[in-house]
This record gives sequence, C-alpha cells and structure tokens, in this order.
Amino acid sequence: MKNEAIISIQNVTKRFPVGDGEFTALKNINLEFQRGEFAGLVGPSGSGKTTLLNIIGSLDSPTEGDALVLGKNISELSHKESALLRNKHIGFIFQVYNLLPVYTVYENVEFALLLQNIPKVQRQKMVMEALEWVGLASMADKKPDKLSGGEGQRVAIARAMVKKPEIVIADEPSANLDAENTHAILKTMRELNENLGTTFLFSTHDEKVMGYLDRIVHLRDGAVEEDEIIKSKTTNQ
Amino acid sequence: MIQFLLKGILRDKSRSILPIIVVSIGVALTVVLSAYMKGAFGDLIDQNARFETGHVKIMTKAYAENKAQLPNDLALLEVDKLIESLDKDFPEMEWVNRIRFGGLIDVPDAQGESKGQGPAAGIAINLFDEKSSEAKRMNIESSIVKGGMPQKNGEAIIGNDFAEKLNLKIGDEITYFGTTMNGSMTFQNFIVSGTIRFGAAAMDRGAIVVDISDAQKMLDMENGTGELLGFSKLNIYDDEKVKQLADKFNQKYVDDLDEFAPIMLPLRAQNNLGEMIDYSSYMSSIFVFIFVFAMSIVLWNTGLLGGLRRYQEFGIRLALGEEKGMIYRRLILEAILIGVIGSIVGTLIGLGGAYYLQIVGIDISDYMDNSTMLMPSVLRAKVTPELFFIGFIPGLLAMVFGNMLSGLGIYKRETARLFKELEV
Ligand SMILES: Nc1ncnc2c1ncn2[C@@H]1O[C@H](COP(=O)(O)OP(=O)(O)OP(=O)(O)O)[C@@H](O)[C@H]1O
Ligand SMILES: [Mg+2]
Repeated sequence: MKNEAIISIQNVTKRFPVGDGEFTALKNINLEFQRGEFAGLVGPSGSGKTTLLNIIGSLDSPTEGDALVLGKNISELSHKESALLRNKHIGFIFQVYNLLPVYTVYENVEFALLLQNIPKVQRQKMVMEALEWVGLASMADKKPDKLSGGEGQRVAIARAMVKKPEIVIADEPSANLDAENTHAILKTMRELNENLGTTFLFSTHDEKVMGYLDRIVHLRDGAVEEDEIIKSKTTNQ
Repeated sequence: MIQFLLKGILRDKSRSILPIIVVSIGVALTVVLSAYMKGAFGDLIDQNARFETGHVKIMTKAYAENKAQLPNDLALLEVDKLIESLDKDFPEMEWVNRIRFGGLIDVPDAQGESKGQGPAAGIAINLFDEKSSEAKRMNIESSIVKGGMPQKNGEAIIGNDFAEKLNLKIGDEITYFGTTMNGSMTFQNFIVSGTIRFGAAAMDRGAIVVDISDAQKMLDMENGTGELLGFSKLNIYDDEKVKQLADKFNQKYVDDLDEFAPIMLPLRAQNNLGEMIDYSSYMSSIFVFIFVFAMSIVLWNTGLLGGLRRYQEFGIRLALGEEKGMIYRRLILEAILIGVIGSIVGTLIGLGGAYYLQIVGIDISDYMDNSTMLMPSVLRAKVTPELFFIGFIPGLLAMVFGNMLSGLGIYKRETARLFKELEV
C-alpha cells in the first residue's frame, strides 16, 4: 500500500483575479503524498495552504500544472466527476466544524452516505461505527447546538470518515479547540490513519497538531519553503 | 433523500414558515376569488337568463333591433305554430311567452280622480297554467311582500315601493294606460293582488306583473308575444350548445327579408352577457397569473435571503460530494414540498372563506340602485370541485419559480467560490 503516490502535484500555479490584475496564491508547487501519510501544510496566514487543499479536494482547479488525485487529473474533471471523487474518496474536516444545524448528530454523519444511495440498514451500521470511532455513539440523537466544540469537531471527523475515504483533508481542524480537545481529536485521527490506512492531509498553525505529523510541508508566499520528513513517529506524544 | 429534505424543512422554521405563509395566503386568495367570481358570474348569468334573456330568446328581427323601446307593434304572431315547430326541432328546450310593456299606472281615488301616477314597466307571463314554471322562474312568489299571486284575470301584482308611495292596499284598483299593438290607446283596470320586490333595481322600478292572457287582450296581441324565451329543460346554460341551437334556428330564416321574421338570440348575444361570460373565464386565469407573479417575486426574495443563510450548508454539501446541479435540483424539490404544504394549507383556508361567502355573500345592492343592469343584489361565492386544485397552480408555480430564480445564484457560482463562503 505504501510508496504509491496518492496525490501528485506537478508544477501547480494558482492565480486569482483581483481587481484588474491577478494574485498568485501558489507558485509552481511540486509535491507528492503517499498512501497512508499523516502530513500537514504549515505556514503563515495567506501562504496558500487552503488554496492547495482545495485543489487537492477538487473544489478548485490549478491555473497551471497538474494535480493528480487518485490518478485523476483535477483540471480535467467535470462537475459531476469531481463531486463523485469527493463523495467517494475524500473526506473534509474544517476549522469550524460545520455541522448542519437542523439535523441530529446521526443525520449529519448519515448525509454523506445518503449521497451514495447506501441502503438504510447498512447506513445505520456504518454511521454507528463511525460514531464509535470518535466516542460519540451515545450522542447520536443530539442536535449540534447541544455539543461542545470538541464534540462537534469529532462529529465532523465521523462524517468525514464514515464513508471510509482514501484521503481526509483537514483545514486547521484545531483552530477553535482547546489543548485537551486538540489532543483528543488528533489521537483519534492518528488511530484511524493507522487502523484504516487513510491518508490525512492537514493545514495548521498549531504546534500541538504539528507534533502528531509524520511530515510537514512548509509553505511561504505560495511556494514550498521546506519539505520536512519526521522519521520517528509516535502515536501519542 | 426526500425524507431528509422534508425533515430539514420542517425543523428549520425560518426556512419554511415564511414561504408557507406567503404561499398559503396567495393560494387562499386564489381559491376565494375563483369561488367568488364563479358564484357571482354564475348568479349574474342565471338571473339574466331567468328574468330577461332566457337561454335563448326569439323575437322578430325588428323587435330585436328596437328591444329597448318594448316595441310590441313588432311582436311575433302565430306563436302557437312557432312553438309547435320549436318543440319538434329542439325537444330539449322549454318555450315560454313573455310580453313586456311600457305605459302608465294610474291610481284613482274614491271619486275616480287620479290620486297618483307612475311609469309602468310591465311584464306578462303565464301565471295561471299549472304546468308553467314561469312564476317560479322569476321568483314571483318568494318576492311578494304583501298579498299574493293573481288568481284570475284582471288581477296584478305591482311594485311594493310604488304601492307604499301611493298608499295602495291589496284589493285596490289601478288603471293601466298604454298603446296596443296597432298603435291605439288602451286602458285596463286591475285589482292589486299583491306587492312585490325583486331586489334588483332594474326589475323593481314600475313593476307590474300580469298574466299573459290579460296582456294579450289589452294590447290586442291575440296569439302574439313580444318575446319567446327558451330554457334548457335541465336548466343548465351551456354556452356552446346554445350557440349552435341559435345558429340552426336562424339558418332557416337567413334569407327571409321580412322584418317580422323571427330571430333567435342566445344569452351571450344579449345584454353584453357574452363579454361577461368571456370575462369571467379569463378573470380566473388572470388572477392566477397575477398571484403567480406577485408571489414569485416575494418568494424569490425570501429564497434569496434563505439561500444566503444556507451558503454554509451548500458548502458542506459540496464538500461531501453533492454536485452543484444536484443541490439546485434539490432546492427546487424543497420548493415543491413547501409549495405543496402551503397550497394544502391555503386551499383549506380558501375553501373555508369560499364556503362562508357562499352562505353569507356580499350585499352590493347599495351600489346597484341606479344600475339598469340586471344584477343579483347579493353576490355569493360558489364552492366547486375545481377549487380543490386551482390553488395548487399558483402555489406550486410561484414557489418553484421564485426558488429557481433565487437558486440561480448557487447554480452559477463557481464551486470554489461557494466553498469559500464556508471560511467566515
Ligand atoms: N478566491 C480568491 N480570490 C482572490 N484571492 C484569493 C482567493 N482565495 C485565496 N486568495 C488569496 O490567496 C492567498 C492564499 O490564501 P489561502 O486561503 O490559501 O491562505 P492560507 O494559507 O490558507 O491562510 P490562512 O492561514 O489564513 O487560512 C491569500 O492572500 C488570499 O487572499
Ligand atoms: Mg486557510
């Protein structure tokens, strides 16, 4: 499984139109991620972390260069194909945990499976399993506004993981969490990474998060400043 | 998935309540107005048919041209023969003679001197024949204020207002002055058997109702009649059928240059009723159109506001792998669900309103005092089966249309831009 490039970024440049001109958010990036990596993009605000994650998540496409995700070239995907890629293979976790407020914890996690037309019985099993991974099976019927920040983010992890995606993209997942919850969710994700082989890709400013990563890609002004492999990885620091 | 969306609609009150209220109001108004139009126009046509125009009316061509002057010198003659052939040609119809006549009513005092006078707007119908439904058709019995129906020749019913003004009592004598068919002066005494108020200004002014045989005699119209009215025996006015009937009848006389040749006018060709009928059938669709339009704009705006609030949700759904076009289609599906809920609520409210207006009606007699048009004085709604679905047209159209417009923003937006809205 390892040593197979699941994400391959080749000479990717991303420019945004700003006023009359353009703003270059990513400058000729070259990166590869292997299956099962637990890696993070780190850099100051505005360095292009989110932009790169959005391209990998097929929510955006590069202006120049190629982004290959699971063998698919992001720029060549239609709306439908990129939606399908996200639906089946990519899970997202955001800074604010972004649960749908009118639905219960259970329903929020279930939604990802509804989109895949998975039958109800199987859905039920998968949702409960995912909630158990994050230790929230007992809160299945609660509404998001009744949850603490850490619990909310754990539901978001369950939602990202329930379909057992190959890649999970987590854009500053700890930004709104205290130290205790940050450690808790990272431990959970680390376990899922090891047990299910899921590739995790973070963006973060957070030293605590960095402590869990196997690899840190430092971005500055839209370019890779340093690609740091941390050999000695442990699951609980 | 529908279940999932429905849960969202029902739980998110701010998303559903306002549109449901807007749709319900629009639908309820559509239902009430349709019922009211239907009822009012139906009554109007029915009343005109019964009192004035029949479902069809046969006159001589010359009479038809000068109808307003009640030109009995141009009356139809040999009516029995005409009716006989009509019965053969159109067995589905019933034919009745009516004579309208103008003139003067004079009320003498004990010495035989004139105590007061008024213009007469007389109508003579078959009152004495057991089989005649004319008295019933014209609501004579139920419109009588004092006294009763004429029982024999020489008795008349007169307008209640006129009787009160001249202090006439039942059994008093009045004298009618007028001109015969041949243009000579005539007068005839009648005993007042009763007084009447039809409740329609056009009918009540100078009203005097006598039996047709009295009128024929005093106006020298033996076996003649001013007007020959035809009514469908089922008492249903079918605009199309009646038109064909009239065409068929008139075909026979098309080359007849005699100005006394008969002509049959369908209801729609009299008293501008044709325009009314067309108007009434257009009106409902116009109302529906207006409501669709107005509601669409309101719902478009509520949809825009709701959509803004939901950008976060759309962003999440995009990230979870729902396609943009799918989100848009499901937005429309939600609109349909809300539209259906609102339409059901609105239809129920509207039916309640329509039923109330059917029982109570709206009294317009104050506005009709000077009108010469034959109008019912109380306009009532009519609850018909079509009311159960007519409201769904504006309810669903407006909701779907409004949301299609407001949802376009989502549809057009780049996926990445939509997603950006997440990062607030
Ligand atoms: N749609 C856009 N249009 C214009 N400029 C954009 C757009 N998206 C991002 N940018 C710009 O690109 C640069 C990189 O943005 P990005 O969001 O990737 O930074 P980031 O590293 O995620 O920062 P942060 O740590 O604050 O999240 C920023 O200067 C930003 O203003
Ligand atoms: Mg960012």
